[in-house]
Amino acid sequence: MEQKEIFEQVVKILTPYVKNQDALAAVAPETHILDDLKVNSARLVDVVLEFEDAFDLEIADEDVDKVETVGNAVELIQSKIG
Amino acid sequence: MEPDPASALSRGAARRLAVQREIARVLSPLTALAAAALLRLWLRLSFEDLRATRREYRRLRGENDAPLLVCGNHLTMIDSALIAWALGSPWWYIGHFSSLPWNMPDRQNFASTWWQRALAYVYKCVPVERGGSRQDVAVSLARFTYLLGRSEVGLVFPEGGRSRTARVEVEKAAYGVGRIVRSVPDCRVLCVYLRGDRQREYSALPARGDRVRFRLSLVEPKSDFGGLRGSREVARQIVTRLAEMEQEHLHARQ
Repeated sequence: MEQKEIFEQVVKILTPYVKNQDALAAVAPETHILDDLKVNSARLVDVVLEFEDAFDLEIADEDVDKVETVGNAVELIQSKIG
Repeated sequence: MEPDPASALSRGAARRLAVQREIARVLSPLTALAAAALLRLWLRLSFEDLRATRREYRRLRGENDAPLLVCGNHLTMIDSALIAWALGSPWWYIGHFSSLPWNMPDRQNFASTWWQRALAYVYKCVPVERGGSRQDVAVSLARFTYLLGRSEVGLVFPEGGRSRTARVEVEKAAYGVGRIVRSVPDCRVLCVYLRGDRQREYSALPARGDRVRFRLSLVEPKSDFGGLRGSREVARQIVTRLAEMEQEHLHARQ
């Protein structure tokens, strides 16, 4: 799967959780999920579980700690699906 | 169980926790007096079945030294003090200091000024920045799991904050609780439901002169799922048990 395709899918999954629509309109790999998009930290787990379902993979607890930006999420997913 | 790599602490961090524990232990006669003054003299709280509750906790601690995580419902800012008081007398804790639970308060609410940080330090707290960077949260979780793995008791509020509806909210289950339980082999969970008779909604403090009632239930939550899904399921099982205990409490009070 292409990185661009993963990026688009990640943004689509994030969209319902985003509180800052301006940041979503200008979303880029370096956009911070909590600080810029204002996703509630408690909901980040739900977001990652949706990543698992959408890409059919399993993400370990410690891998979630490394996901700060949209780009981190894309890289993590890409590394899992190979 | 999935041992969490984050639970491996650096030697320096482990030593700092050992120093904190020792300072807290040495100061415990003073901190116990302060807690007694707050709960009994100033707030004039009374506690239902205190002896039986403390006897049950002593039995659980004496049974074996498997890791124990206390999970409570959350309605006031001093619930951790109320639970600690219910589980053991201040004088018993001096001789059984590992049984006085470590807490994980929100740094912003409980450790933002120097005197709050000092109090948090001597009352066995490992502050966490709720909503902070995942790496910072992971470090706090690692400290906590490290302590649990060394026969220290931990106390967390799995709803993540005080309930705005004054009822246990299963959907608010914080997955981090599940992560703690799953990363500590053989971790037992002691659910503690507490509520003052006059506690109608969440508040900073219980009503003065209130009578506080407790229920205890030991659970061993498990999940066949791995990763996040497993942690979330474990967290939900714990909060679901607390919700059941709430129903039992309300039914008994009718």
